[in-house]
Amino acid sequence: MFSLFYGFWKYIFSKTEFHVLILGIDKAGKTTLLEKLKALYSNLEGLPPDRIVPTVGLNIGRIEASNTKLIFWDLGGQVGLRTIWEKYYEEAHAVIYVIDASSPLRFEDSKSALEKVLRHTDLQGAPLLILANKQVLPSWVLMVGYEGTVSSSKLARYLNLMELDERLLVMVLLRCVLIWQDIDGAVSSSELARYLDLKELDERPYMFEGVSAYDGTKIKDCIDWLVEVMERSKRTDRLRARAGVAGSLNV
Amino acid sequence: MGILFTRMFSSLFGNQEARILVLGLDNAGKTTILYRLQMGEVVSTIPTIGFNVETVQYNNIKFQVWDLGGQTSIRPYWRCYFPNTQAIIYVVDSSDTDRLVTAKDEFHAILEEEELKGAVVLIFANKQDLPGALDDAAVTEALELHKIKNRQWSIFKTSAIKGEGIFEGLDWLSNTLKSGGG
Repeated sequence: MFSLFYGFWKYIFSKTEFHVLILGIDKAGKTTLLEKLKALYSNLEGLPPDRIVPTVGLNIGRIEASNTKLIFWDLGGQVGLRTIWEKYYEEAHAVIYVIDASSPLRFEDSKSALEKVLRHTDLQGAPLLILANKQVLPSWVLMVGYEGTVSSSKLARYLNLMELDERLLVMVLLRCVLIWQDIDGAVSSSELARYLDLKELDERPYMFEGVSAYDGTKIKDCIDWLVEVMERSKRTDRLRARAGVAGSLNV
Repeated sequence: MGILFTRMFSSLFGNQEARILVLGLDNAGKTTILYRLQMGEVVSTIPTIGFNVETVQYNNIKFQVWDLGGQTSIRPYWRCYFPNTQAIIYVVDSSDTDRLVTAKDEFHAILEEEELKGAVVLIFANKQDLPGALDDAAVTEALELHKIKNRQWSIFKTSAIKGEGIFEGLDWLSNTLKSGGG
């Protein structure tokens, strides 16, 4: 009888746990994002960006949001380390893919790494959140109102993500969230102009967000979105079913 | 009153203490690493029977570093030192490819220990100065580090003899411990 009540109580009150992978090539800002998330959602301070060293391994962030537990796995993005990404796919509920939008020279690398991620069968149906990161540079601010939207659609076009119909895709601009000291000179306005083409906003399945500089509210919007899609994704059901089976086998 | 001041002082200057275990097979370079950390120089060592313990002050953290002997016969005693440990430094001889399987097995056995559940894990792929030493990605593969999913880990290429990589690893460790660890 007790166990019945206990089970019931657990069913009602236990929080769902989601594993979210943070991927992207090296220097995209994955760990900085993780630390920002920690700072926003827990009472931990989170490391300041200048103290962050390249990840060679796994960083973990545990936060609670929208009445769920989120566990972030932040993996190193250097070429030799990308082989371990796939070891984490099976248990991941969703993927956040971070791209350094301020270094076009590496878009190609980002793109091929992302394609490889999306092709992997272990990640089938996993919701995907793409962050065009490092929108920090003063020249962006000059493009009042539109600066974020344009670059995100441009980036999406570049990455050729049109075929991602069953996936939920969000292009989010994390503007001014991350302050990277090692970017000097930033993207020049002429380079920016080449990316600017306001007619480029088409009907592809995404929504984009401009993120306000310091209060981080839009990050919270992203996380809310992520939680929402994870809760109703078929993949979550599958993972849950499998965990349930494994659990009953243990007993 | 004195205590109050001490507390204020330490919270102002962020002095933190951490207990670290340095583990690994025999001849991995644990003792050399310990004295590299503590004195900044290479000492000639003999196989450790028992332990060496030193305090290292780095990045506002006082590390109490325990270097435990790595021979097969004394590995069972490692567990006596497990309670209250915040971090493990696992040292691997990257050139000793024959024994990497043993190193892997010992490593995963340590991770199973209840008392080390909250400890963060730093791996030193040591002896990078030797020919034929595997790099960090290869050691990651060999140790099957991807099986770790519930704690933070990081791997660094080190050469205790040349003094490379060790303090980078300690940087990671102090950052990780400060930002809440595990």
